[in-house]
Order: sequence, then structure tokens, then C-alpha cells
Amino acid sequence: MQPEIVEQYLKAIYNLTEEGGTAKTTDIAELIGVAPASVTEMLHKLADKRYVKHESYKGAVLTGKGRKVARKIARKHRLLERFLNDVVGVRGRSRHEQACKMEHALTDEAEHNLCKIMNHPVECPHGRKIPKCEKKISCERCADSSMSLDEMKEGDTAIVSHLTCGDKDDLCEMLAIGFVPGSAVTVEKKVPMGGPIIVSLKGTKVAIARERGKLLHLSKAG
Amino acid sequence: MPGRGENYFISAKLARRGSSLEIALAGNPNVGKSIIFGRLTGVGVTSANYPGTTVEFVEGQAKFMNMTITVIDLPGSYSLAGNTDEERVATKLLYERRPHTVIAVLDSTRLERNLVFLFELIESGHNVVVALNMYDILRKNKQVIDVERMERFLTMPVIPTVATKGEGIDSLLYTSIQLRRKSKFQVRYDSHIEEMISRLEPQLREKDWDLPLRAVAIRLLAGDENVISRAPPEILELSRRMREEFRKGHNEDIVVHIQRDRFGEAGRIAREVIGTAQTARKKPSLVSDLTIKPSTGIPILLGVLALIFLTLVFLGGYLEGLLVGAYSDTGKAYFSDLADQMDSKYAKGVIDGVSLSIEAMLALVIPYILVFYVMLSILEDTGYLVRVVSLLDGVMHRLGLHGRAVIPMVVGFGCNVPAILATRAMGSRRERLILATLITIAVPCSAQTAIIIGSVGNFAGIWWALLIYVILMGTLVVLGLALHRTLKFEPTGLMVEIPDMRWPSTRQTAMKTYIRLKEFLTIAFPLLLAGSIVLETLMAVGALQEIIGPADPFMHGALGLPAFTAVALVFGILRKEMALQMLMVLGFTLEGTSNLQDLLTPHQMFVFALVMAVFMPCLAAFAVMVREFGARSSLMVAGASISLALVMGAVANLVLSL
Repeated sequence: MQPEIVEQYLKAIYNLTEEGGTAKTTDIAELIGVAPASVTEMLHKLADKRYVKHESYKGAVLTGKGRKVARKIARKHRLLERFLNDVVGVRGRSRHEQACKMEHALTDEAEHNLCKIMNHPVECPHGRKIPKCEKKISCERCADSSMSLDEMKEGDTAIVSHLTCGDKDDLCEMLAIGFVPGSAVTVEKKVPMGGPIIVSLKGTKVAIARERGKLLHLSKAG
Repeated sequence: MPGRGENYFISAKLARRGSSLEIALAGNPNVGKSIIFGRLTGVGVTSANYPGTTVEFVEGQAKFMNMTITVIDLPGSYSLAGNTDEERVATKLLYERRPHTVIAVLDSTRLERNLVFLFELIESGHNVVVALNMYDILRKNKQVIDVERMERFLTMPVIPTVATKGEGIDSLLYTSIQLRRKSKFQVRYDSHIEEMISRLEPQLREKDWDLPLRAVAIRLLAGDENVISRAPPEILELSRRMREEFRKGHNEDIVVHIQRDRFGEAGRIAREVIGTAQTARKKPSLVSDLTIKPSTGIPILLGVLALIFLTLVFLGGYLEGLLVGAYSDTGKAYFSDLADQMDSKYAKGVIDGVSLSIEAMLALVIPYILVFYVMLSILEDTGYLVRVVSLLDGVMHRLGLHGRAVIPMVVGFGCNVPAILATRAMGSRRERLILATLITIAVPCSAQTAIIIGSVGNFAGIWWALLIYVILMGTLVVLGLALHRTLKFEPTGLMVEIPDMRWPSTRQTAMKTYIRLKEFLTIAFPLLLAGSIVLETLMAVGALQEIIGPADPFMHGALGLPAFTAVALVFGILRKEMALQMLMVLGFTLEGTSNLQDLLTPHQMFVFALVMAVFMPCLAAFAVMVREFGARSSLMVAGASISLALVMGAVANLVLSL
């Protein structure tokens, strides 16, 4: 782990150079809220540790190593902002400030789970792209580490994580009967001969055809 | 029952007016809505189809003091979003009829899911009363609902009811009539959605909508077609942008979040009001489990089918004998006297036609169709039919059909007319056409059953009769597979709730049977009547007998049947149920005996019954098909069934002559 201040700087440079170009000392100073002189001093330190390449008068760019750290922290920040905005309902400047503090405390595992819970958001509330995680699997596959209903065995219980349903009517029908994210589903019986899957859901029994079951993604309880 | 409403006054104005108040019953399927409806109303119930759909809703009158109250039983649905036919009808009815009160019938044993539907009703700004139905089952499960607490949460009257025993119904009616205030309850959605609602709501104008603006905003965000079609373009654009924005941010449709929040809220309330919620687990019912497991479910299914078949044959046959016997001494004698007095052949034809139709009513409608409908309604109400649907869904899929196709097929054993109507429950037109074709060709209706039993069953033995059924089932499978191959498409996946097994209620059974019978009498019977008048006239002028000569080579050569059976076949197009009688009458005039045994050998009977069973649907079934699928498809199906029937008859004749 890098000290918080290093992460702070790298994230600032990342934000400034996201669309190409270099990060000017004055811009960094403004973003972090310190004097330009301290920025220059810090940039030297970061250059020594090979996080950035720094040329006087031109500004700083991230090295591969620095970019990796910066991306991760920017990702955490934007995920947190999304979370604070959508779930907690924090608005305005304070949302950004809280995310700035929380991002350094968030572990990678927590970040990964947060991304899953929020169903792989792609943009932060300001409309900036949330950098992809470093896992080798794609987002769809990551979502599928939860399994679809037809992969479950009889007697298994799991929680609905999300639905992949193209048709709006079908989607609404499934939601209305109670297959909403967060509900517990127990597979009671898989009727043979390609028959439906019978599940209990909120105290009721529902028979659902197998190909429809494929649209329903669940993660194991607990 | 905790009494509700005793301290309220009936609106004196309403009572004096004797006004026509309207109350609607709404709720999920299988919550006992119809039983409450039956309790509230008396006879004089009418069922109606909403124009353009087939989902039925029922309407009836309730009496309260000197008021007549119209009660509408909405189709059971899970939501008001309008994504299924049931939802669309329920939504439209609520919107157009604007009932004074909506009674939300909730299954108290499944409070959480049922509450979500209630939220939608409240959100749409109706005056809502909750009927907490099946309260006795809840009590039996050693649970209790804190009704007062629930009333405080929801700010509306909540009345526990046991519809099957009539408990709480009076109080429900009383409260519904005097209710004049809306609930202030609101579901709070997640902050992003709430923020969008608060952005959208001020843009809407009160006078454009007859829904609360919050409901309009939510429905616009959810993309509800009913609201979208009435929204001004700039609002539409705004809401579309918001939906898009939400989708981008969350990578998920906004409806998922809306429903998730509703269920979250429902779960919270359910946990708060239900005592000993999780501790008392429901005992799984043994019967219910056995009917779904294929190893036991299929033998049970076969047993049930055999029972239906035997009941139809024995009870139906007994009733038929009784009724026809009674009729031939009274009505028939009267009509034949009347016919004898007529000079004109045509008048004779008409009178004979009327007489025959009445006889057919007595011989077919009451004994077979009525008995069948009673049994069908019992099968539905116990919840058994839904289990059959899920048991056979996989198999039906191989035939390109949905598990739900089981129901029209079973109905088809009674009469093909309501069966063809029942195919509307299927998704696509193709699926419906496949199903209707299978039903008309390979599902013998009660008239066809009467022929099979009356000829082959009586004279050649029950095993030969069963063989015809086996052949028909084989045809069903082969034909289904063939149609599935040629008409390529994927049936939509099944999703259906399986209710607990329960005893059917007598009232419910009587009401359902009454409504179905009425449908049969209004659609099929007039055609039967017209058909027989035409036929009798043709017979009277001797036109029908003309075909005997030309048909001889084919009938005799290919089918090995006496030529006069051709008349019975043609007759069968219009009046299948009378084909056997026709045969006897012809036999009497041509061969001098009306004894079937002397007219046909058992082997000829087998061929005849087989041809009749596969043969073209009767005129009524054909007319319904034309109405549902258009003339071209119907003619194709009719043509296919006639040629298939003749080919199968010829093959049977060949095999039997070996």
C-alpha cells in the first residue's frame, strides 16, 4: 500500500490526463488544494519512485506503474460516489469529499463486491468512466460467477443478483411475480424431460421454464 | 373477526339515492377473489371479454340495504404495469370504470408478494380496502397478523376474511361502501429514482392526467405503455432521457430497481405485522408434492384422466338415457305430430331440425358437457390443473407448445368450441394455430367420444375403443412434431405460480360451470340449430341421399364401409353428435333395421368411429376457427383433417382386412 498522499496525487494526475496530455503543476495544486511548490516537491518524489515522468514546464504523466495505482484508486473513488449517490443518497460536494476519504480505506475485495452489488456501473455520477477492474474475466463472466437458475441443484437456496432479460414484458412479468434482486429462491424440483424448474419464492411455489431460468442470475446465500 | 367500520356512518346520501355504486375486486391470481365475489353477489353474474382480448372479467350485483352495488371481479394479475393481457385488462377496467372502491384481496399467507400489488393500487390513487383473505390458513399455521398495526402503516382499512366460510364479507362490503378517503401511504424508492420523480413531477400538469402525478411520473420512468401513449412529447423525451441515464449509471433497467424497492418495503411491512413469521414453517403437503414428481405424477394423471373418462361414459350415459327417454315421449312426439301436419317438405325439415336440436341439447349438452365442465372446474379449483401444466411442460415443448396448452386440450375433450377459444391463452398466433389444429384433429370432443363409445365400445369391446384413443394420441404426437418442424418458432417460456392444493368450493364450481355453459350455448348452439335445420331440409328434399351413389366406390373400396355411411359422414360435418343416430335412421330406411350391430361389422364400426374422430370439426368449431384464425387457415385445417381421416380410415381398413 502506498501512503494516502501518494494515492491522492496519482489520482489527481490520472483525472487530469485521462483524456490525454500532461498534468500541469498548477492544475494539480488546484485540484488537491496545496501550494504549487509542494506539488513540485512531491512530483520529484513520485518520479524517484517511478510513478510519474516529470518534465519541468511541460508537466507530469503517469508511468505504467503509476497508472496502475491511479486507475485502481480512481475506480474506488467513482464506485463509491455511485454508491453514495444511488443507495445512500448523499448529494453535492460532500459526496465527493466523503468518497475521497473512503477510497483509501476500501480493500480490493470490498471494491470488487461493491462493483457486483451495484451491478457493474460504467459511469460515476459526474459522467466519468469507471475504470475496469484488473480481473481477467469480463464483467458478464464476473456476474456469472453467480450462476443461473438452471445451473442450481435441487434443494439449493440462493439470492437473486440480477436478471438478463431482453424483452421488457418478460422482465416485468418476472419482477412482478417476485424475482427481484435480493429475494431468496430455493429450487424445489427440476421436472425431468425438459420440464420446468419449481422454486419456492417468498412463500409461494412457482414453476418456471428452464430457458427462462437462464435469465435469472443468483449468488449463493451468505 | 375484529369488527371494522361499526363506528362509521353509511353515507346517507348514497343510501337514499339507491345509487349504482361500483366496487372492483383486484388481486393476484389464486387469492380467493372469485370466492369473495361469489359471496358478495348472488346470481345474475355475467362474464365478459374485454374487446380485443380473451381475458375474462366477471360482473355481478350485490345488495346492501336499499342499494344495488355493481361488483367487478378483475382478472388476477401480479402488477398494474400492463405487461400481460391480464394486467392490461385490469388496468383498463380500473381506468375506465373508476370504481368507488377497490377491494384489494390479499392472500394473508403470502403477504409480502401480495402487498406489492396493493402498493400499485394505492399509488394509482384508488380508494382501497384490504381484504386479508385466507386468514383461517394463517391461523392454522400458528401465525397472526397485527391488523391494527397494518392499518396504521398503510393508513387504510384492513379486514381479515375467510371467503370460503363467508367470514368478514359483510364487514368488507360495509367498509367498501362507506370508504371515502385515500391512503396516504407511499413507497419510498431509492434516492436516484426519487430524485428523478421529483424532477419529472413538476413538469406534469394535473389536468392532463386522472392519476396522481407521482404515479404518472413513476409509470413514465418505468416505460408503461398506457401512460406513454398519453404523454406530451417533451415529457416523453425527458422521461426517456432519464431512463437512459439510469440505465447507463446502473447498468440495469429502472423497473428492476422500482420493483426491488417495492418488494423491500413489502418485506419490511410483512415482517413488522406478522407474528411468529419465520418460526412456524408450513408443512409441505404430500399430495401436492406427489402430483409434481413425474414418477408418481404421471400415474396420478393417468388415473385422473381415466376417472374423468369413466365418469363421462357412465354418468353421462346414464343422464343421456334418462333425458332422451323423457324427451321422446313428450317434446319429440309433439314435434313429429306437428311435422306430420305440415304439407311443405321445407316446413317439415325446419320442425325436424328444431326437434333434433333440442334432442341434441338433452343428449349432449347436459349429460356430457355439463358433467365435463363440473369436473374441469373442480380440477382447476383444487389447483391440480396447474400441476399438470408444469408436469407436462417439457413434453409439450417438444411438440412446440407451452405447458399451458394442456388446458385447452383437456377442455377439447368436452367441446372443441371453448377449447379453440381457450387457445388464446397461448402466446403467438402460430402456437395457437398449432394447438387448435391438434385439438380439432386429435382430441375427440364429447360428441366424438359418444360415437366411439356408442359404436365400437358397445359392440366391439372396450379395448377397441381404447385403441382408437391410443391412435389419436399417437396422431397428436406425430402431428405436433411435424407442425413444430414446419412452423419454426420458439414457444415462450412458462412461468406460473403453483397454488396450494385445496378443496373446491361448491359455489365456485357452480358459477364457473354456469358461465362456461352459457358461452357454449351462445356460440355453439345457434350454429347447431341452423346446421340441423339446413340438414333436415336437405334430407327432406332428398338432396343428401344423392351422394350415396357417387360415394359408393370410395366408401366401399377404400374404407370398406357401406355406401350410406357417406351420408352420416357429411352429416357429421354439421352435427357430429347425431352421426350415429343418423346411421341408424338411414339403416332403417335403407336396410330395414336400425340395429347398429346388424348394419356394421365390429371392424366396420372401428373404421367408421376412427374416421369420425379425426374428421373435420363440426360446423360450430369451424366457425369459431374462422373467427379466430381467418378463413384460409381454417379451410386448410378442415381440409387436412378430412383427408387425414379418410387416409387413416383406409389404412385401418387395410390392416384389419389382413
